[in-house]
Amino acid sequence: MSEPLGPIPAATCVLVSGGSRGLGLALVTDALARGANVATFARTVTPELKELALQHPTSLHVGSVDVTDTAGLTAFIRESAAKLGPIDALVNNAAIGQDSLHIHTSPEQIAALVATNLTAPLLLTRAVLRHIMARGGRGRIVMVTSVCAQRGYSGLVAYSATKGGLDSAVRTLAREMHGRVLINSVAPGFFASEMSSVLGPDQLETITRRTPSGRLVEPENILPVVRSLLFEDTNFNGQVLTVDGGSSI
Amino acid sequence: MSALSRDQLRTMMGDVLEAQGKTIPSSDDSPLDEIGFRSLDFSELALRVEDELGSELNFDAPGLRAIETVGDVLEFLEQLQLA
Ligand SMILES: NC(=O)c1ccc[n+]([C@@H]2O[C@H](COP(=O)([O-])OP(=O)(O)OC[C@H]3O[C@@H](n4cnc5c(N)ncnc54)[C@H](OP(=O)(O)O)[C@@H]3O)[C@@H](O)[C@H]2O)c1
Repeated sequence: MSEPLGPIPAATCVLVSGGSRGLGLALVTDALARGANVATFARTVTPELKELALQHPTSLHVGSVDVTDTAGLTAFIRESAAKLGPIDALVNNAAIGQDSLHIHTSPEQIAALVATNLTAPLLLTRAVLRHIMARGGRGRIVMVTSVCAQRGYSGLVAYSATKGGLDSAVRTLAREMHGRVLINSVAPGFFASEMSSVLGPDQLETITRRTPSGRLVEPENILPVVRSLLFEDTNFNGQVLTVDGGSSI
Repeated sequence: MSALSRDQLRTMMGDVLEAQGKTIPSSDDSPLDEIGFRSLDFSELALRVEDELGSELNFDAPGLRAIETVGDVLEFLEQLQLA
Protein backbone atom coordinates (compact mmCIF):
# COMPACT_ATOMS: atom_id res chain seq x y z
CA MET A 1 0.00 0.00 0.00
CA SER A 2 1.25 3.49 -0.81
CA GLU A 3 2.07 5.90 2.00
CA PRO A 4 -0.58 8.58 2.60
CA LEU A 5 0.55 11.81 0.97
CA GLY A 6 0.98 14.93 3.09
CA PRO A 7 -0.56 18.29 2.22
CA ILE A 8 0.06 19.53 -1.29
CA PRO A 9 2.81 22.15 -0.94
CA ALA A 10 2.25 25.84 -1.59
CA ALA A 11 2.64 26.92 -5.20
CA THR A 12 6.10 28.11 -6.17
CA CYS A 13 5.61 28.91 -9.85
CA VAL A 14 2.17 30.05 -11.00
CA LEU A 15 0.89 30.43 -14.54
CA VAL A 16 -1.90 33.03 -14.73
CA SER A 17 -3.79 33.37 -18.00
CA GLY A 18 -4.96 36.86 -18.96
CA GLY A 19 -2.70 38.76 -16.57
CA SER A 20 -2.53 41.96 -18.59
CA ARG A 21 -5.29 43.90 -16.83
CA GLY A 22 -8.28 43.64 -14.49
CA LEU A 23 -8.37 40.76 -12.05
CA GLY A 24 -5.58 38.88 -13.86
CA LEU A 25 -3.07 41.71 -13.37
CA ALA A 26 -4.03 41.92 -9.68
CA LEU A 27 -3.57 38.14 -9.33
CA VAL A 28 -0.11 38.31 -10.91
CA THR A 29 0.93 41.18 -8.63
CA ASP A 30 -0.40 39.34 -5.58
CA ALA A 31 1.37 36.05 -6.38
CA LEU A 32 4.65 37.95 -6.91
CA ALA A 33 4.18 39.69 -3.55
CA ARG A 34 3.71 36.24 -1.98
CA GLY A 35 7.17 35.34 -3.30
CA ALA A 36 6.12 33.03 -6.14
CA ASN A 37 7.53 33.03 -9.63
CA VAL A 38 4.82 33.95 -12.12
CA ALA A 39 4.29 33.44 -15.84
CA THR A 40 1.45 35.25 -17.55
CA PHE A 41 0.19 36.01 -21.02
CA ALA A 42 -2.55 37.85 -22.88
CA ARG A 43 -3.04 38.73 -26.52
CA THR A 44 -1.76 42.25 -25.78
CA VAL A 45 0.89 42.93 -23.16
CA THR A 46 -0.22 46.20 -21.55
CA PRO A 47 2.14 48.95 -20.33
CA GLU A 48 1.15 48.02 -16.74
CA LEU A 49 2.27 44.43 -17.25
CA LYS A 50 5.46 45.52 -19.02
CA GLU A 51 6.24 47.78 -16.05
CA LEU A 52 5.68 44.89 -13.62
CA ALA A 53 8.00 42.70 -15.70
CA LEU A 54 10.70 45.37 -15.45
CA GLN A 55 10.30 45.42 -11.67
CA HIS A 56 10.54 41.59 -11.47
CA PRO A 57 13.06 40.62 -14.15
CA THR A 58 13.83 37.17 -12.73
CA SER A 59 10.51 36.15 -11.18
CA LEU A 60 8.00 37.24 -13.85
CA HIS A 61 7.78 35.93 -17.39
CA VAL A 62 5.38 37.66 -19.75
CA GLY A 63 4.26 36.78 -23.26
CA SER A 64 1.81 37.73 -25.95
CA VAL A 65 -0.21 34.57 -26.62
CA ASP A 66 -3.80 33.89 -27.61
CA VAL A 67 -5.24 31.35 -25.17
CA THR A 68 -6.94 29.57 -28.07
CA ASP A 69 -3.57 28.95 -29.77
CA THR A 70 -2.63 25.52 -28.39
CA ALA A 71 0.81 25.42 -29.99
CA GLY A 72 1.54 28.92 -28.72
CA LEU A 73 0.56 27.87 -25.19
CA THR A 74 2.79 24.79 -25.29
CA ALA A 75 5.73 26.97 -26.34
CA PHE A 76 4.91 29.53 -23.64
CA ILE A 77 4.82 26.86 -20.92
CA ARG A 78 8.19 25.52 -22.09
CA GLU A 79 9.73 29.03 -22.19
CA SER A 80 8.30 29.91 -18.76
CA ALA A 81 9.59 26.72 -17.12
CA ALA A 82 13.03 27.25 -18.67
CA LYS A 83 13.20 30.75 -17.14
CA LEU A 84 11.35 30.26 -13.83
CA GLY A 85 11.57 26.55 -13.05
CA PRO A 86 8.77 23.95 -13.20
CA ILE A 87 5.23 25.32 -13.09
CA ASP A 88 3.20 23.87 -10.22
CA ALA A 89 0.09 26.04 -10.29
CA LEU A 90 -2.33 27.52 -12.79
CA VAL A 91 -4.98 30.22 -12.56
CA ASN A 92 -7.34 30.06 -15.52
CA ASN A 93 -8.40 33.69 -15.55
CA ALA A 94 -8.48 34.77 -19.24
CA ALA A 95 -11.97 35.02 -20.64
CA ILE A 96 -14.16 37.13 -22.87
CA GLY A 97 -17.51 38.55 -21.83
CA GLN A 98 -20.93 38.67 -23.40
CA ASP A 99 -23.85 41.07 -23.30
CA SER A 100 -26.41 39.94 -25.84
CA LEU A 101 -29.60 37.90 -25.76
CA HIS A 102 -28.97 34.34 -26.95
CA ILE A 103 -31.34 34.78 -29.90
CA HIS A 104 -29.33 37.78 -31.10
CA THR A 105 -25.85 36.33 -30.55
CA SER A 106 -24.22 35.10 -33.74
CA PRO A 107 -23.11 31.47 -34.00
CA GLU A 108 -19.56 32.80 -34.51
CA GLN A 109 -19.71 34.75 -31.23
CA ILE A 110 -21.04 31.70 -29.36
CA ALA A 111 -18.21 29.61 -30.82
CA ALA A 112 -15.66 32.24 -29.76
CA LEU A 113 -17.02 32.29 -26.20
CA VAL A 114 -16.83 28.50 -25.95
CA ALA A 115 -13.36 28.40 -27.52
CA THR A 116 -11.89 31.07 -25.23
CA ASN A 117 -13.76 30.45 -21.98
CA LEU A 118 -14.19 26.66 -21.98
CA THR A 119 -12.06 24.76 -24.51
CA ALA A 120 -8.93 26.86 -23.95
CA PRO A 121 -8.92 26.57 -20.13
CA LEU A 122 -9.54 22.83 -20.40
CA LEU A 123 -6.57 22.47 -22.76
CA LEU A 124 -4.37 24.76 -20.68
CA THR A 125 -5.30 22.76 -17.57
CA ARG A 126 -4.43 19.55 -19.40
CA ALA A 127 -1.07 20.96 -20.50
CA VAL A 128 -0.17 22.16 -16.99
CA LEU A 129 -1.30 18.90 -15.37
CA ARG A 130 0.88 16.95 -17.82
CA HIS A 131 3.78 19.29 -17.05
CA ILE A 132 3.31 18.72 -13.29
CA MET A 133 2.82 14.95 -13.55
CA ALA A 134 5.76 14.36 -15.91
CA ARG A 135 8.02 15.82 -13.22
CA GLY A 136 6.48 13.73 -10.43
CA GLY A 137 5.16 16.96 -8.98
CA ARG A 138 2.08 18.08 -7.12
CA GLY A 139 0.19 21.28 -7.65
CA ARG A 140 -2.82 23.54 -7.53
CA ILE A 141 -5.27 24.82 -10.09
CA VAL A 142 -7.83 27.61 -9.78
CA MET A 143 -10.52 28.38 -12.33
CA VAL A 144 -11.95 31.89 -12.26
CA THR A 145 -15.60 31.28 -13.09
CA SER A 146 -18.64 33.41 -12.20
CA VAL A 147 -21.87 33.58 -10.24
CA CYS A 148 -23.48 33.48 -13.67
CA ALA A 149 -22.89 29.73 -13.60
CA GLN A 150 -25.18 29.46 -10.57
CA ARG A 151 -27.91 32.05 -11.22
CA GLY A 152 -29.60 33.34 -14.35
CA TYR A 153 -28.51 36.70 -15.73
CA SER A 154 -30.02 37.95 -18.98
CA GLY A 155 -27.52 38.48 -21.80
CA LEU A 156 -25.02 35.89 -20.60
CA VAL A 157 -26.24 32.53 -21.90
CA ALA A 158 -23.12 31.20 -23.66
CA TYR A 159 -20.80 32.88 -21.13
CA SER A 160 -22.67 31.22 -18.23
CA ALA A 161 -22.56 27.87 -19.97
CA THR A 162 -18.76 28.08 -20.27
CA LYS A 163 -18.34 29.02 -16.60
CA GLY A 164 -20.71 26.25 -15.50
CA GLY A 165 -18.71 23.85 -17.65
CA LEU A 166 -15.53 24.77 -15.78
CA ASP A 167 -17.25 24.42 -12.38
CA SER A 168 -18.31 20.91 -13.38
CA ALA A 169 -14.85 20.04 -14.68
CA VAL A 170 -13.32 21.11 -11.36
CA ARG A 171 -15.22 18.44 -9.42
CA THR A 172 -14.21 15.64 -11.76
CA LEU A 173 -10.62 16.85 -12.06
CA ALA A 174 -10.32 16.96 -8.27
CA ARG A 175 -11.25 13.26 -8.20
CA GLU A 176 -8.97 12.33 -11.10
CA MET A 177 -5.95 14.11 -9.66
CA HIS A 178 -6.36 12.43 -6.26
CA GLY A 179 -3.63 13.45 -3.85
CA ARG A 180 -1.58 15.14 -6.56
CA VAL A 181 -3.37 18.36 -7.47
CA LEU A 182 -5.94 20.54 -5.67
CA ILE A 183 -8.45 22.01 -8.11
CA ASN A 184 -11.07 24.63 -7.24
CA SER A 185 -13.13 27.40 -8.79
CA VAL A 186 -13.50 30.93 -7.53
CA ALA A 187 -16.77 32.44 -8.74
CA PRO A 188 -16.87 36.23 -8.42
CA GLY A 189 -19.95 38.41 -8.63
CA PHE A 190 -19.80 41.47 -10.90
CA PHE A 191 -16.80 43.73 -10.35
CA ALA A 192 -15.64 46.78 -12.28
CA SER A 193 -13.30 45.91 -15.17
CA GLU A 194 -13.09 46.24 -18.93
CA MET A 195 -15.29 43.13 -19.18
CA SER A 196 -18.10 44.55 -17.07
CA SER A 197 -17.80 48.10 -18.46
CA VAL A 198 -20.88 47.44 -20.63
CA LEU A 199 -23.03 47.55 -17.49
CA GLY A 200 -24.70 50.93 -17.13
CA PRO A 201 -24.90 52.91 -13.84
CA ASP A 202 -28.53 51.78 -13.38
CA GLN A 203 -27.57 48.11 -13.58
CA LEU A 204 -24.63 48.56 -11.22
CA GLU A 205 -26.93 50.30 -8.75
CA THR A 206 -29.47 47.45 -8.99
CA ILE A 207 -26.76 44.82 -8.42
CA THR A 208 -25.42 46.79 -5.43
CA ARG A 209 -28.93 47.14 -3.97
CA ARG A 210 -29.51 43.39 -4.29
CA THR A 211 -26.18 42.50 -2.69
CA PRO A 212 -26.61 41.64 1.00
CA SER A 213 -23.15 42.99 1.90
CA GLY A 214 -24.27 46.33 0.43
CA ARG A 215 -21.37 46.72 -1.97
CA LEU A 216 -20.06 45.35 -5.22
CA VAL A 217 -17.22 42.87 -5.25
CA GLU A 218 -13.75 44.27 -5.90
CA PRO A 219 -10.70 42.37 -7.18
CA GLU A 220 -9.17 42.97 -3.71
CA ASN A 221 -11.91 40.71 -2.27
CA ILE A 222 -11.03 37.89 -4.67
CA LEU A 223 -7.26 38.01 -4.15
CA PRO A 224 -7.17 36.49 -0.63
CA VAL A 225 -9.40 33.62 -1.74
CA VAL A 226 -7.21 32.73 -4.73
CA ARG A 227 -4.11 33.30 -2.61
CA SER A 228 -5.27 30.78 0.00
CA LEU A 229 -6.09 28.22 -2.69
CA LEU A 230 -2.60 28.61 -4.14
CA PHE A 231 -0.51 28.96 -1.02
CA GLU A 232 -2.34 27.84 2.14
CA ASP A 233 -3.13 24.38 3.47
CA THR A 234 -6.93 24.69 3.35
CA ASN A 235 -7.75 21.23 1.96
CA PHE A 236 -10.38 22.86 -0.26
CA ASN A 237 -10.74 20.60 -3.28
CA GLY A 238 -13.30 20.34 -6.08
CA GLN A 239 -15.18 23.36 -4.67
CA VAL A 240 -16.70 26.49 -6.11
CA LEU A 241 -16.00 29.42 -3.77
CA THR A 242 -18.42 32.23 -4.52
CA VAL A 243 -17.25 35.78 -3.82
CA ASP A 244 -20.25 37.98 -4.49
CA GLY A 245 -21.23 39.76 -1.28
CA GLY A 246 -24.05 37.25 -0.96
CA SER A 247 -25.90 38.43 -4.09
CA SER A 248 -26.55 34.85 -5.23
CA ILE A 249 -27.98 33.51 -1.96
CA MET B 1 -33.08 41.54 -50.32
CA SER B 2 -32.27 45.25 -49.93
CA ALA B 3 -32.65 47.13 -46.65
CA LEU B 4 -36.16 47.86 -45.44
CA SER B 5 -37.24 51.50 -45.41
CA ARG B 6 -38.21 53.36 -42.27
CA ASP B 7 -41.87 53.22 -43.38
CA GLN B 8 -41.68 49.45 -43.83
CA LEU B 9 -40.08 49.10 -40.39
CA ARG B 10 -42.82 51.24 -38.87
CA THR B 11 -45.49 49.04 -40.47
CA MET B 12 -43.81 45.91 -39.11
CA MET B 13 -43.57 47.46 -35.65
CA GLY B 14 -47.29 48.21 -35.92
CA ASP B 15 -47.92 44.53 -36.76
CA VAL B 16 -46.06 43.39 -33.62
CA LEU B 17 -48.11 45.78 -31.47
CA GLU B 18 -51.37 44.92 -33.22
CA ALA B 19 -50.91 41.23 -32.45
CA GLN B 20 -51.00 42.28 -28.79
CA GLY B 21 -54.11 44.42 -29.25
CA LYS B 22 -52.13 47.67 -29.22
CA THR B 23 -51.70 50.40 -31.83
CA ILE B 24 -48.52 52.12 -32.88
CA PRO B 25 -48.68 55.86 -32.10
CA SER B 26 -48.20 58.27 -34.96
CA SER B 27 -45.42 60.21 -33.25
CA ASP B 28 -41.87 58.89 -33.35
CA ASP B 29 -41.33 60.59 -29.99
CA SER B 30 -43.78 58.28 -28.18
CA PRO B 31 -42.04 56.54 -25.25
CA LEU B 32 -42.00 52.74 -25.50
CA ASP B 33 -42.95 52.20 -21.86
CA GLU B 34 -46.19 54.14 -22.46
CA ILE B 35 -47.21 51.86 -25.33
CA GLY B 36 -45.95 48.69 -23.64
CA PHE B 37 -43.30 47.76 -26.23
CA ARG B 38 -40.78 45.67 -24.25
CA SER B 39 -37.35 44.35 -25.10
CA LEU B 40 -38.63 40.96 -26.25
CA ASP B 41 -41.11 42.79 -28.51
CA PHE B 42 -38.06 44.46 -30.02
CA SER B 43 -36.49 41.01 -30.42
CA GLU B 44 -39.62 39.78 -32.20
CA LEU B 45 -39.53 42.78 -34.53
CA ALA B 46 -35.82 42.27 -35.25
CA LEU B 47 -36.46 38.60 -36.10
CA ARG B 48 -39.33 39.55 -38.42
CA VAL B 49 -36.99 42.03 -40.16
CA GLU B 50 -34.37 39.25 -40.45
CA ASP B 51 -36.98 37.02 -42.10
CA GLU B 52 -37.70 39.73 -44.66
CA LEU B 53 -34.02 40.35 -45.32
CA GLY B 54 -33.05 36.68 -45.35
CA SER B 55 -30.04 37.40 -43.14
CA GLU B 56 -29.31 37.73 -39.44
CA LEU B 57 -28.96 41.08 -37.63
CA ASN B 58 -27.18 40.17 -34.43
CA PHE B 59 -26.58 42.84 -31.81
CA ASP B 60 -25.43 43.41 -28.24
CA ALA B 61 -27.66 44.48 -25.37
CA PRO B 62 -26.01 47.85 -24.53
CA GLY B 63 -27.33 49.44 -27.74
CA LEU B 64 -30.82 48.23 -26.86
CA ARG B 65 -30.72 49.86 -23.45
CA ALA B 66 -30.56 53.29 -25.08
CA ILE B 67 -33.81 52.70 -26.98
CA GLU B 68 -36.65 54.72 -25.44
CA THR B 69 -38.99 55.85 -28.20
CA VAL B 70 -40.63 54.55 -31.37
CA GLY B 71 -38.13 56.63 -33.36
CA ASP B 72 -35.22 55.03 -31.48
CA VAL B 73 -36.49 51.56 -32.49
CA LEU B 74 -36.71 52.54 -36.15
CA GLU B 75 -33.29 54.20 -36.11
CA PHE B 76 -31.66 51.22 -34.38
CA LEU B 77 -33.06 48.86 -37.02
CA GLU B 78 -32.03 51.19 -39.84
CA GLN B 79 -28.48 51.30 -38.48
CA LEU B 80 -28.36 47.54 -37.98
CA GLN B 81 -29.24 46.98 -41.62
CA LEU B 82 -26.34 49.21 -42.65
CA ALA B 83 -23.81 47.52 -40.36
N1 LIG C 1 -15.66 41.58 -14.39
C1 LIG C 1 -16.64 40.88 -13.84
O1 LIG C 1 -17.69 41.42 -13.45
C2 LIG C 1 -16.48 39.40 -13.65
C3 LIG C 1 -17.43 38.72 -12.86
C4 LIG C 1 -17.29 37.34 -12.66
C5 LIG C 1 -16.23 36.68 -13.23
N2 LIG C 1 -15.33 37.35 -13.99
C6 LIG C 1 -14.21 36.58 -14.54
O2 LIG C 1 -13.00 37.12 -14.01
C7 LIG C 1 -11.94 36.89 -14.95
C8 LIG C 1 -11.19 38.18 -15.22
O3 LIG C 1 -12.13 39.10 -15.78
P1 LIG C 1 -11.85 40.68 -15.87
O4 LIG C 1 -13.14 41.33 -15.53
O5 LIG C 1 -10.61 41.05 -15.17
O6 LIG C 1 -11.69 40.80 -17.47
P2 LIG C 1 -10.82 41.75 -18.41
O7 LIG C 1 -10.48 43.02 -17.71
O8 LIG C 1 -11.55 41.81 -19.69
O9 LIG C 1 -9.46 40.90 -18.58
C9 LIG C 1 -9.47 39.70 -19.29
C10 LIG C 1 -8.04 39.23 -19.45
O10 LIG C 1 -8.06 38.03 -20.27
C11 LIG C 1 -7.25 38.25 -21.43
N3 LIG C 1 -7.79 37.52 -22.57
C12 LIG C 1 -9.04 37.60 -23.09
N4 LIG C 1 -9.11 36.84 -24.19
C13 LIG C 1 -7.90 36.24 -24.35
C14 LIG C 1 -7.35 35.38 -25.32
N5 LIG C 1 -8.05 34.94 -26.37
N6 LIG C 1 -6.06 34.98 -25.18
C15 LIG C 1 -5.31 35.41 -24.12
N7 LIG C 1 -5.78 36.25 -23.19
C16 LIG C 1 -7.06 36.67 -23.31
C17 LIG C 1 -7.28 39.76 -21.63
O11 LIG C 1 -6.19 40.24 -22.42
P3 LIG C 1 -6.28 40.44 -24.04
O12 LIG C 1 -7.65 40.96 -24.32
O13 LIG C 1 -5.17 41.38 -24.37
O14 LIG C 1 -6.05 39.09 -24.61
C18 LIG C 1 -7.16 40.22 -20.18
O15 LIG C 1 -5.83 40.10 -19.74
C19 LIG C 1 -12.60 36.26 -16.18
O16 LIG C 1 -12.48 34.86 -16.13
C20 LIG C 1 -14.05 36.67 -16.04
O17 LIG C 1 -14.91 35.77 -16.71
C21 LIG C 1 -15.42 38.68 -14.22
